[in-house]
Amino acid sequence: MKYILKVFSATFMSLILSFSIANASSGVFKVSHDLGFGKDTNLDAITKGRLFQVVIKTQNRLVRPDMNGVPSPSLSTDWSANSDATEWTFNLRKGIYFHDGSAFDAPDVKYSLMRAKDPDIGSPVRKSLNVVEDIEVVDQHTVKMKLSTSFADFPLLLTDYRLRMIPEGSGDTIGQTGVGTGPFMVDKFDPEGTTILKANPEYWEGAPGVAEVHVIAIPDAQARIQALLTGQIDMNRYVPFNQKKIFDSNSKFTTTVIPTGNWRGVVMRTDTAPFDNPKVRKAFRLAVDRKELVDLVMGGAATVSCDTPVMPSDQYRLQMDCPQNISKAKNLLREAGYPNGIELTVYPATLEPTWPTIAEVVQQQVAKAGIKVNIEMVPSKGYWNEVWMKKPVSMTRWNQRPADTILHEAYHSGAKWNESYFKNADFDKNLADARSELDFNKRKKAYQNAQMTLWEQSGTMIPYHVSRLVVTSSKVKNLDAVDHFSIQWHKVKVD
Amino acid sequence: MESNLITEDKQKNKLEKVFEILKTMASRPSGLIGLSIVLFHIVLALISPYIAPYDYKAISPNTMLLAPSAEHWFGTDSLGRDVFTRTILGGRTALTVTFFGSLIALLWGGLLGIFCGLVGGKIDDVVMRVVDAFLSIPWILAMLLIVSLLGTSTEVLIPALGFFYGKGIVRVARAATHDVIAKDFIVSARARGHSNMSIIWNEIIPNVRDAILVEGAMRWSWMLLGFSSLSFLGFGVSPPTPDWGLMISNARGLMSFAYWSVIAPIVGLSSLIIGINLTADAFAKALGIDRSTKAPV
Repeated sequence: MKYILKVFSATFMSLILSFSIANASSGVFKVSHDLGFGKDTNLDAITKGRLFQVVIKTQNRLVRPDMNGVPSPSLSTDWSANSDATEWTFNLRKGIYFHDGSAFDAPDVKYSLMRAKDPDIGSPVRKSLNVVEDIEVVDQHTVKMKLSTSFADFPLLLTDYRLRMIPEGSGDTIGQTGVGTGPFMVDKFDPEGTTILKANPEYWEGAPGVAEVHVIAIPDAQARIQALLTGQIDMNRYVPFNQKKIFDSNSKFTTTVIPTGNWRGVVMRTDTAPFDNPKVRKAFRLAVDRKELVDLVMGGAATVSCDTPVMPSDQYRLQMDCPQNISKAKNLLREAGYPNGIELTVYPATLEPTWPTIAEVVQQQVAKAGIKVNIEMVPSKGYWNEVWMKKPVSMTRWNQRPADTILHEAYHSGAKWNESYFKNADFDKNLADARSELDFNKRKKAYQNAQMTLWEQSGTMIPYHVSRLVVTSSKVKNLDAVDHFSIQWHKVKVD
Repeated sequence: MESNLITEDKQKNKLEKVFEILKTMASRPSGLIGLSIVLFHIVLALISPYIAPYDYKAISPNTMLLAPSAEHWFGTDSLGRDVFTRTILGGRTALTVTFFGSLIALLWGGLLGIFCGLVGGKIDDVVMRVVDAFLSIPWILAMLLIVSLLGTSTEVLIPALGFFYGKGIVRVARAATHDVIAKDFIVSARARGHSNMSIIWNEIIPNVRDAILVEGAMRWSWMLLGFSSLSFLGFGVSPPTPDWGLMISNARGLMSFAYWSVIAPIVGLSSLIIGINLTADAFAKALGIDRSTKAPV
């Protein structure tokens, strides 16, 4: 009997041990970033230079989008609104701890969100968060957010990838520490080299599948592809579609095509001649053949956009057609006082691999309307500081956001990232009306009116919303086939 | 009448000397190959706009990445443009920029080197330390800085490349000058009261010219490689101008399945560099110069 007990105990312990080993975090998941913010790169999610490849793995939001983009619980378990949607109550998850050992509770929520509204910090997300007037700490695990107006879609706004929860009072150090409640903890922050993240064994959704994540700075797009081919990194979410064949026939890689709300574009500063004339801006936008761009640049894997930043799957998107119209473009230029056309220079960098190609194709297309485009390549490093929002015409790229967020953030007259310096009172009013409108149809109408104003007036040519070609090493398992900001990183494993 | 005859004789002698050098160069297989390649590229650069079968700018989603065929001899690139057309036009800018860049490098590098070699003293020390300082700066970084500030037009690239590739010529010209300034005819010229400029023009240049020309020919091939590197990085010519470096850069990611879009510009660039190197080597041998020491053999 004693012998049987011994054998049973040994078997039981072996089973527990092997179960623990099987569930322990192991392996290294290596990804890259483009160092686009140069020396300003940091781990403070609400600042311009946030290294999102890190903060999305180390910090959580109150509310996150599920696989279909619908707001779903994260650090908040559930929420409710009063009858006119001006007050929203969020119940917080209990027993959650930050990487520094402190407990996550209501004051942290108030601190994190009110900090994003701080004018001294000047966060790009501040404009869309201005609707929050105050946050009341009801108890340690309940907050009540008081809004300046009715806002039926408020939880959608909180799914913004930058609205991460950080410990109360950590604002001065968060840019270097990246402390959060996420599945990974910052072990070494080296924005120009390799940033190392370690698994958080106490993560509230379960221990991560990998022991470490390495985030490596590789500014050049082709160098990132070579890094993937040679095994230096395990995932590249920016592979151009014309290079899909390289990976399709290689068993070492897995390719996934994900429709997204991410977009690329050419931005004309509306405060700078000749683009201060709306007719010139529209002429340029009309001269572009968007379908041809989709075919040539994306190999057909994108959805044509008529200069609206609202993603194709969004309920508020304005659906319309916008074929190339050279004669109308010429007429508009003539009416604007440029009968012989205009000349402009764009400044692509290879940090976004499709920018040079977009510039070359657009150059040929708009030439037919008398618009001469010069292309001057610029270094990737520091592009967002030196070129974007500085030069009269620049290239841009945005990740997907809910309609209200992107319209506020990229076009509202007071927005920090209003890259085209667009100012239009009707547009701003439509956004304000949409937020305060409780009737869905009326709200939709207001958002679509705002998008129609963009079509008529805006300085940003948005030819398409991209489908993303994500290539991973075949060693990578359990990676959600969704947008970057909806992935549940703790589930990822590397064989 | 008599002076006219003397001038004609001199010109005849010069022409005869040029033909003799060319003949000597062509008498070696490597020299003949080098000369033929360079000549082929120069002729191609001159006539390519007239023989190009397609518009080098014409993009089309219907002709993307077509393999070589009777219609498109070298296939098409990722924007549907004819690779043969872009390849034969691709050397024009590189040849023009680097040829004039080399001339500038020869001119300022050669003259400054000769001047320093002749005057010596503190001026020589200061100038050579400045040249040394510039030589210690990686040229690619300096060029990137210049094109970032001033743009990538040929008006910027030619003098900038000419400046950076002329630094080495200063040293060669100075060393060659040192070899001749101790000779009797220089001493005699000084004794006759000739000015420095007169001595440089009439006595030194004819004696160091060959060494500087050979160095200049070599610099041309290096400059070509440098210019193509800039284009490869996106800081050479601007799209849609066809250029080998830019073509290689654009097509490098497609190499594994659309090799044709990258092979043609690679062959164009490497053959021209090899051709210039072989020609420079044969040129040096025809002039009796050992390139390893830059001194007459």
